[in-house]
Amino acid sequence: MQPDEDIERLMARYQQGDFAAASALIDRVSPQLFRFFAAQTFSRPDADDLLQETWLRIHKVRHTWRPGEPALPWFYAIARHIRVDHYRKSLRTATGERKLEAMAASSPLAPQPADQADQIAALLAPLSAGEREVLEMLKIAGMSLEEVAGATSSSVGSVKQKVHRAYKKLRRTLSLAQKGGRL
Amino acid sequence: MKESDIDGILQSAPVPEGPRSETLQSIAAAIRGSLRPVRPLPAPWLLTAGLVFVSATIALAAAAHAGFDGIEKMAPWERALIFIPLGAFAVVAAKTFVRTMIPGSRRRLSAGALLALCTLSLLGAFALSFRDYQIDHFVSAGFACLVTGLLHAFPAGLLAWFLLRRGFAVNAIAAGLAAGTLAGLVGLGVLELHCVNFQAAHVLVWHTAVVPLSGALGATCAAVGQWIRRLATR
Repeated sequence: MQPDEDIERLMARYQQGDFAAASALIDRVSPQLFRFFAAQTFSRPDADDLLQETWLRIHKVRHTWRPGEPALPWFYAIARHIRVDHYRKSLRTATGERKLEAMAASSPLAPQPADQADQIAALLAPLSAGEREVLEMLKIAGMSLEEVAGATSSSVGSVKQKVHRAYKKLRRTLSLAQKGGRL
Repeated sequence: MKESDIDGILQSAPVPEGPRSETLQSIAAAIRGSLRPVRPLPAPWLLTAGLVFVSATIALAAAAHAGFDGIEKMAPWERALIFIPLGAFAVVAAKTFVRTMIPGSRRRLSAGALLALCTLSLLGAFALSFRDYQIDHFVSAGFACLVTGLLHAFPAGLLAWFLLRRGFAVNAIAAGLAAGTLAGLVGLGVLELHCVNFQAAHVLVWHTAVVPLSGALGATCAAVGQWIRRLATR
């Protein structure tokens, strides 16, 4: 196996039942997906669970990726689906308003000292979930606008709008932080 | 602060540690047992063509059974004004449905926007075509047409789901809405081919209603299916 073999080629071989390609794909894509979950306000054990759940789903629907198409938007679309599902489940299982309030208070949506090690999560914390995921895919995973639009089932225009809003918020936050001498 | 400065900060910020190697090993072990070759989905254009073919076949077969009385009574310009957009929307709805069933597909039109566009455009086409403003047997005749349209939309929706059963909808409700819209267009097509009641109110209200109602039914079925699946996996 080539060490720099691209994800699409590995995915095609995974579809053909090649275990070595599947393992290589897991090693290559998992860190990005893990970061996606971690940046989306989940704790490390949650991100681990979601990653496993995502791979099980990927395995089940691997035939829906078409050779010749970019694989990253496909991976992220499934990861996003799992994340939304997880969010809905967690909302359903939370009984009563107090529990929901407790969840919101413990959510890393607001920057917390415990998460300062993860500076990306802290930087992206002021953004909405949609803006955060778009920025994560575009700037950290290195996907193109078209790929992000595919992964989020939205139009390129909507992605651009989210990025614009995200930059506006980040600019404000970073300027405030600079003035306060924190950066 | 420039965008490039923000990019620099984002890219230089330390990232959280990746997943543990035990996690990766357990994922690999979990999929190993069921790893076998799979056949990828056909090309999207082929799936779209299949959906359009099935939809047209159902509409034409139903009209052939009931009679092409409606289209025969129409003037050529009326036929063009109604059936050209109807056909075009069926292609767009089929394309949208296919996109919702393939993860990572780029969306040009959301399922909700598609439904709104179809309904409003067809309302416009009908308003231009039909100028008889009487309202004889408005409810009884209208209800019969609505039921006929929905009854023909039902098999079209079922066949559309069957054709794309190997797909995976990351947004099941959007997929249901798109499939319902396509099925509704089939139901409306049957009515336009067969119904000879050209009263404007009848066509504008009862014929057009087949599309949004069918779309709503498709989305509801998808939501119920999703809910049942979640209950089963609990």
